[in-house]
Amino acid sequence: MRILGLDTATRATTVAWLDTETGAAVGRRDDPPRGARPRHTPRLMGLVVETLQEAGVDWDGVDRIAVGVGPGTFTGLRIGIATARALAIARAIPIVGVCTLRALAGGAALAACEHGRAALAVLDARRGEAFAAGWSTPSHDPEVMAAASPSLRPAALAPDEFAAALRAGGGRWLAVGEGAVAFRTTLERAGVLVASDGSALHRVGALSHCRLASALEPEAPHAVRPAYLRRPDAEIALRARERDSPMPSTATPDDRHPR
Amino acid sequence: MSDRRLILAVETSCDDTCAAVLTRDGEIRANVISSQGIHDRYGGVVPEIASRHHLELIDAAVADALRQAETSLPELDLVAVTRGPGLVAALLVGLSSAKALAAAHRLPLAAVDHLHGHVAASFIGDAPLPPPFVSLVASGGHTFVARVEDHGPGYAVLGQTLDDAAGEAFDKGARLLGLGYPGGPALERLAADGDPEAFAFPTAARVRGLDFSFAGVKTALLYAVRDLGSEAPARRADLAASYQRAIVESLATRAARALEHTGLHRLAIGGGVAANGALRARLGELGAQLDVPPRALCTDNAAMIASAARFTPALEYPRYLDLDVYASGELPRCASPR
Ligand SMILES: [Zn+2]
Repeated sequence: MRILGLDTATRATTVAWLDTETGAAVGRRDDPPRGARPRHTPRLMGLVVETLQEAGVDWDGVDRIAVGVGPGTFTGLRIGIATARALAIARAIPIVGVCTLRALAGGAALAACEHGRAALAVLDARRGEAFAAGWSTPSHDPEVMAAASPSLRPAALAPDEFAAALRAGGGRWLAVGEGAVAFRTTLERAGVLVASDGSALHRVGALSHCRLASALEPEAPHAVRPAYLRRPDAEIALRARERDSPMPSTATPDDRHPR
Repeated sequence: MSDRRLILAVETSCDDTCAAVLTRDGEIRANVISSQGIHDRYGGVVPEIASRHHLELIDAAVADALRQAETSLPELDLVAVTRGPGLVAALLVGLSSAKALAAAHRLPLAAVDHLHGHVAASFIGDAPLPPPFVSLVASGGHTFVARVEDHGPGYAVLGQTLDDAAGEAFDKGARLLGLGYPGGPALERLAADGDPEAFAFPTAARVRGLDFSFAGVKTALLYAVRDLGSEAPARRADLAASYQRAIVESLATRAARALEHTGLHRLAIGGGVAANGALRARLGELGAQLDVPPRALCTDNAAMIASAARFTPALEYPRYLDLDVYASGELPRCASPR
């Protein structure tokens, strides 16, 4: 099966193509320099076209599209999913959504096994929180990894909740992902092994999505949705106000935009 | 010669998820508008919520438009999409989708300016208006008056709002009168029972030239409500009528000045505020030929984007793959002849 994968959940824009029969693989990515904004919009479709070109195939050389559904930056998720769904619909190609944390953990499966540890995938959720999920027996085998249920379910966690969740998980973890670097101190204090800062294990790469997607069932395009894991701020604020007073309320001024 | 080649357009600049199919010569084959209708309780459009809904609705809107037009992607001649101005996160959903749809079949893509779209709404419908004309666009997001010499994409912006948009002024006024959101239509209904002369609200007459300002009238209403105190509820209809009159006068004065300034005799209106009956009636008194597109072409829609796309240079595949959106700043595209 030939799979086109893409992910825009993190600052990176990553695209890959994999032929699971021959093992032929092509990967392209864009990592913005530190402090620069993600380049999902200007780069994603260009990387898709370049990837297929390098693979030497056209759309009939894609049997399945795999897209990272996060968690991650809300805008990034929408860019990737809108793109993947439109491609799938336009070319009648089956599509499958892949949890970005699962793909990240799957990419670190070999390293985790080497260290005899469980795999913990951590992304930066901003506002001092982390998106994290853990698998106690990660596997490099896509069939196993795609079906494995997480021992730490994907969630947005504040550092103290995070530490508590890790202790409750009881496992010895290897943590990967940009969030693992950002939360290194918290994690190491909880006994977690964090891969060295520059390690490639921290980078979300769409080749992992391609591998997992080969073992997942395709979905209807509209069923491929972002795993936001967090409500919009305005909704949280509205619910809080509605709880506090029965009066109808309005959003905060900076959250609001005239139609 | 009629040109039946088809354009698919996508528009997601604010809170309506829109897709349309138009022929090259301007016949509307489909004009799908999915109004989200979930922003009322927030008192305004929340960008993150609007963007989430765009992603939920976009594919169905496109599929509906293609189905109604009895066509399919490979049969299209062009894909068009709103690139800005608007809410960035919302625009990105439409742009990402449109780029991928076009690229999947190596179709050209036209990146359309939303405001050119409002102007271009007058080029389609049952009675297309040929340029030159003066265009007054007033909605919740924008308010400007332009001289439209040809089909564009350029047009001369003669004046624009210095603060709130006209539709925003209606909504804010409605909220001050306890009418909820969006309040424009409710305010108009309430105004029908009131005396427009009851309160002398300012019409920004002091703003010279053709620019608009609605901050003053909004403040005046706020003070009037405050001064009336417990009497205010009984005077709501008068307040609404006077407030509406001030906004309508402000718009009509600039439209009249623009007609005089350009020597043109045709006036087109667009944007959601064009649905306001008092505004239509007042503009009808200006002595110009007045063109009011049907409501579905005045509020945000993709047919107007497809219309504008006919006059926007298209980018051939793959030259549009790196396109990004813009929030604002592309206007005015022509120097103002003020
Ligand atoms: Zn508009």
